[in-house]
Amino acid sequence: MTNFIDYFLGGVSTGAIIALMALALVLVWRSTRVVNFAQLGQAMITTFIALTVRDATGSWLLALVAAMASGLIVGVIVYFLVIRPVKRLDTSGAIIATFGVLIALQALAGMIWGGDQKAFPPPISNSGYEVFGRTWPFSPYDLLVVVLLLVLVLTMTVVFTRTSVGLAMRASAFNPEVARLSGVRVNRMLILGWAIAGLVGAIAGVLVAPLSTLSPTSFDIFLVFAFTAAVIGGLDSLVGAVAFGIGTGLVISLVSGYTDSGNAPVVALVLLVLNLLFKPEGVFSHHKARAV
Amino acid sequence: MLRVEGLSVSYGAVQALNDVSLEVPPGRVTAVIGANGAGKSTLMRSLAGLVKPQGGRVLFEDEDITGRKPEDVARMGIALVPEGRSTIPDLTVEENLKLGGMWRSHTQRGTSLTRVYSLFPVLSERRSLGADTLSGGERQQLAIGRALMCGPQVLLLDEPSLGLAPLIVTQILELVSQMAKDSGMAVLLVEQNAATALRVARTGIVLNLGQIVKSGPAQDIANDEELRHAYLGY
Repeated sequence: MTNFIDYFLGGVSTGAIIALMALALVLVWRSTRVVNFAQLGQAMITTFIALTVRDATGSWLLALVAAMASGLIVGVIVYFLVIRPVKRLDTSGAIIATFGVLIALQALAGMIWGGDQKAFPPPISNSGYEVFGRTWPFSPYDLLVVVLLLVLVLTMTVVFTRTSVGLAMRASAFNPEVARLSGVRVNRMLILGWAIAGLVGAIAGVLVAPLSTLSPTSFDIFLVFAFTAAVIGGLDSLVGAVAFGIGTGLVISLVSGYTDSGNAPVVALVLLVLNLLFKPEGVFSHHKARAV
Repeated sequence: MLRVEGLSVSYGAVQALNDVSLEVPPGRVTAVIGANGAGKSTLMRSLAGLVKPQGGRVLFEDEDITGRKPEDVARMGIALVPEGRSTIPDLTVEENLKLGGMWRSHTQRGTSLTRVYSLFPVLSERRSLGADTLSGGERQQLAIGRALMCGPQVLLLDEPSLGLAPLIVTQILELVSQMAKDSGMAVLLVEQNAATALRVARTGIVLNLGQIVKSGPAQDIANDEELRHAYLGY
């Protein structure tokens, strides 16, 4: 039983980070109907930028701010430079193009920062709390991650449901034609979607780096988990991304704990296949069916 | 208020509109009638900026607005209620309304919202419910309400009778016609259901295979038996 509790607690912060990455994928999907496989490549770049800022200034907070700012900018650059021109020709082409962006970003990072694994120290202790005379696999840093996820989700919920911009973004996602006829500048909402996704992904990158190491390819595995969570959640549901992001984190922690960490991606893939077989539209989707 | 001069639209080899000219004066309803495929929706969509015409001009208060983007056309004061599903079921009734005219000032939008709720009391009762819970007639009221939230000088109604009971259609159209009279708004109504449309309209225009075959006082067109047989099928 203690094993179970340990594995469960160990998965919470990973789940929170996967939730953020899945949120970024969902934000892009909602705005442009493209799955952005480059999302975590963008996050990798902004995390390297954050590490550079952290090494120069010694401030984790400044590093986070730098990541968020560059996340916004990189999101917009990728949209303008690649997605918009390609999407004009072909939507599935745009999805393939995001793979190209991912590979290009990894090569770029390798050229600038090298291919070695780099350490990204956490801002606060990452050793587990000691309660009832034993150490639990939940640290102050894990708590910070969960709190940041909650703050971000709450902020986004308020923005999306209580503000005009949020309403315009939702309307543009659900029905761009009616939104345009209502006077909404839908193109700007798409750009905003990519920008916010870039920001959310950047936060996820800075948060996940201290839990492992940072290299041009170290986020690749998270793409599998985030993609699984986003698709099972329905791809267009923010609630689904968060719920299944945390769920995926817990599942992979339990699987890694009881069997072997190498099995985690396989289990994620199995979940994805089961989902596509039995509920292809996703659990929280707004749409009745989705072509697979 | 709105003038169309020699408008031509084609989709590939298919000519949907051929040299169409018409005028939409303020304070009254102008009806464009014609069978399925006559080019009625194409006309509406090109006026709203959703379709780019190959030839001709659209003038709004003597300003050439041909080829402008739909969001800019809406902001100028021309609001289209498109055919069919023009409400967003994932949003609440009030969110659907608030979507209209987002660029306008807070006060203007407040006034418009109050007005829409007094015109369509059922929307006020259901304001916090999802738009997917509304009946067909209520949804059409919501779609018109959203367009009115833009504070339009020109209201374009594309086939509002589609799938609705005749009584509800008459009620909605009479309300729109009254609104045009009261506020000086110009209304262009496109309908397959000619009899109902001609009852509320002042002027009627008959469209067939992308060309205007007849225009004149609505009463005359409604009484022209030959025309009815040839183009309107009743």
